Amino acid sequence: METFAQTLTSGVLTGALYAMIGIGLTVVFGVMRIINLAHGELVMLGMFGAFWGLTLWKLDPFVSLLLWLPVMFLGGILLYRFLLRKIIPGGELNTLLYTAGLSLLIANLALFAWTGDYRTISLSYGQEPIRPFGISIAVPQAVAFAVALAITAALWLFLSRTDLGRAIRATSQNGEAAVLMGIDVERVAMITFGLGTALAGAAGVLLAPSLYLYPTVGELLIVKCFVIVVLGGLGSVPGAIAGGLLLGVVESLGAVYVSSTYKDGIGFVLFLAVLLYRPSGLFGVGK
Amino acid sequence: MALLELDGLTRTFGGLRAVGDLSFSVAQGEILGLIGPNGAGKTTVFNLITGYVQPTAGRIRLDGKSMVGLRPHAVARRGIARTFQIVKPFPGLTVRENVTLAAFLRHPARRDAEAAAMDVLGRLGLAARAGDLASQLTLMDQKRLEVAKALATGPRLLLLDEPMGGLNPSEVDVASGMVESIRRAGVTVVLVEHVMKAIMRISDRVVVVNQGEKIAEGPPAQVVREPAVLAAYFGKRAG
Amino acid sequence: MSRALRPWLAGAAALALVPALGPSSFFLHVAILILMWTLLGAAWNVLGGFAGQVSFGHASLFGIGAYVTIILYLKAGLPPWWGIPLGGLAAAVASLPIGLVCFRLRGPYFSLATLAVAEIVKLVALNWEAVTNGPVGFLITGLPPLRLLGATVDWESKVPFYAVAAVLALAGLAATAWLARSRLGAYLVAIRENEDAAEAVGIDTVRAKVTTLALSAFLAGLGGGFYAFYFRYVDPDAVLNISLSMEMVFIAMVGGLGTVGGPLIGAVFLTTVGETVRERFQVGHLIFYGLFMMLAIRYMPEGIWGRLRKLVASLQSRVPGHGAA
Repeated sequence: METFAQTLTSGVLTGALYAMIGIGLTVVFGVMRIINLAHGELVMLGMFGAFWGLTLWKLDPFVSLLLWLPVMFLGGILLYRFLLRKIIPGGELNTLLYTAGLSLLIANLALFAWTGDYRTISLSYGQEPIRPFGISIAVPQAVAFAVALAITAALWLFLSRTDLGRAIRATSQNGEAAVLMGIDVERVAMITFGLGTALAGAAGVLLAPSLYLYPTVGELLIVKCFVIVVLGGLGSVPGAIAGGLLLGVVESLGAVYVSSTYKDGIGFVLFLAVLLYRPSGLFGVGK
Repeated sequence: MALLELDGLTRTFGGLRAVGDLSFSVAQGEILGLIGPNGAGKTTVFNLITGYVQPTAGRIRLDGKSMVGLRPHAVARRGIARTFQIVKPFPGLTVRENVTLAAFLRHPARRDAEAAAMDVLGRLGLAARAGDLASQLTLMDQKRLEVAKALATGPRLLLLDEPMGGLNPSEVDVASGMVESIRRAGVTVVLVEHVMKAIMRISDRVVVVNQGEKIAEGPPAQVVREPAVLAAYFGKRAG
Repeated sequence: MSRALRPWLAGAAALALVPALGPSSFFLHVAILILMWTLLGAAWNVLGGFAGQVSFGHASLFGIGAYVTIILYLKAGLPPWWGIPLGGLAAAVASLPIGLVCFRLRGPYFSLATLAVAEIVKLVALNWEAVTNGPVGFLITGLPPLRLLGATVDWESKVPFYAVAAVLALAGLAATAWLARSRLGAYLVAIRENEDAAEAVGIDTVRAKVTTLALSAFLAGLGGGFYAFYFRYVDPDAVLNISLSMEMVFIAMVGGLGTVGGPLIGAVFLTTVGETVRERFQVGHLIFYGLFMMLAIRYMPEGIWGRLRKLVASLQSRVPGHGAA
């Protein structure tokens, strides 16, 4: 029972970060109907941002988040404005292939600049775990979890309470109607892409203390990310949250109770099953 | 025996009944109009007959043989062709190539298929456009191409989904003439259409559906006087 | 001699001449890689270019070919001319269940499903140690000379590999040329243009796609088998990586989707750039793959081959007397 509680907890902690990555991908899909294959690389950039912040400027990752969040947001806006905007009218497959190219470009630029070495971030307060209810939790993971919750909550408030947030949700639900209602869809798309990028980057910063970082880590993350958004239903934010938590927990339980080597496989099998039998997502909220 | 028989055809989409217990038959050689207000389920009926959507219950028979469970290509092979309300050409191919692809169904050799395609294009007055890309055609010609593709599969029964939608009155006259000439060539026609003038003129019989159910059936002049039809369909239109 | 055969014979003759020029080992190595990538680009192109089904999982088919070929050699002593075709065949057989599952999905969803399948295949290769040797994989320590048709083949030289690669690449291009003229090829184009409309005119889209995937898998499996002998090692990272799938996509795309010559042009262009960079910097050659991919989609979606064809057509139309050609 204790193992179970421990496993479940660590699954939820990881799942919250997965959810954040998934939300980034899913809001972009919702508004622009594009699947951004370079999303994993954006997370990777966030991870390296945390690493260099700590190495070069002695900035704690959770502090450097305040820097990287706006930087990534701006970067996303520029990416959209100067690269993606011209491609999207060419159709979803073209856009998919384009972001595949972008993904390879970013990953290999990083490989070129930073080499393929595996790096880790070690924090002074990361050594001694806290033990609420006898469950051991690494401090950086606990902090990352709290920050992820805060960011997700803030995003939720933004989407539901502000005009811009409502415009994003309206565009996501029905692009044509949004145009008719006078929403500047182009601007909404740009800001959404900035948001998606910022979320990916932030998730990267938060993940950095608990994962190995290397330039091609995005490959692994993007596949997980697809699993998450497909589980939750492409385009749905609550779906991505549920999908992220579900994947975190399934992986964590699978590693302990099934086989640690096949734990990633569980996610993929679930993914295929959902794609085939519940294409609108497990919770039926996607479209 | 009727060429096509629908018997108790039902389809629900997540609790919503798009088509409910619908039965009617189509006789060899007739032009049958399938009419009803928007959202009445007419296109769903076509999708059910042609295998794009599987029925929840009911039977579909062509010449007494069940068509339920066949995929669309198999339905086409058995002799039912259809057009789509929103035309679906192969936009990057020429008109000739579009129709040749359909003609392959009865003519495996490319030379024969091309000849058959040109024959159909000639009959529909599209021969002059044969070398144009499908995406460059006018709406009228795209609708013609849609019919040409369907005819090139060598059907016995042709389902036309709003072939006159969006056309101007003189184009509607041309299209009506086209439908009649198709019937003269021995192809039975079921027509979904909102252009009442055309329906009244060319249909031998009409079936009126509302909310997925049949509310009237008979010769057009008689059906339009039935109160149920007036209420459901014309009532809505006339205000 | 038939007109259609002429470019093929000329190409084969040119390929046959290369070793006679006494090229450097590096040059021959690059030529071999170009030919291998031509085959792989062609493999991806028949499915992705003609049928418009964008697979991100072709590495799994390549990998299955590589594993089967190397295992047949190490465990049963099968020489390349048996092992490589059997690798292709194994990939084709494996593609059938993959196709039946993934083709239930369309567009980007199909692409995501192939990605998941590829990851599953990789996980199996990593963990099914009894068959695949797990992460360690297989190594060919020595390739003794073999007898073929009375001649001795010395595998220490690159020339035999060059010959095998040339035959395979020509086979891949010939298969594409056949497809482009066949009824199946026409069906695939219809599927790419509009799948519902293709079904409506009586095309069994599932059968056409599954058949094409099997052909595509066979070619990719041949490539994998060749890789196993040429590089002499096979492990999950080397032959089942996502980036391999991506390279196949990029070569076909940059060369020209749905064209016969596209994969050749794409392979010549990207492999030359890639190997030159790799020679100098070791890493980072894929930067250019990504970059060229993005540039191609933005400025030349018809690919290099497609653009050349357009140029030739517009030149011909300017020359009097060629207007109708």
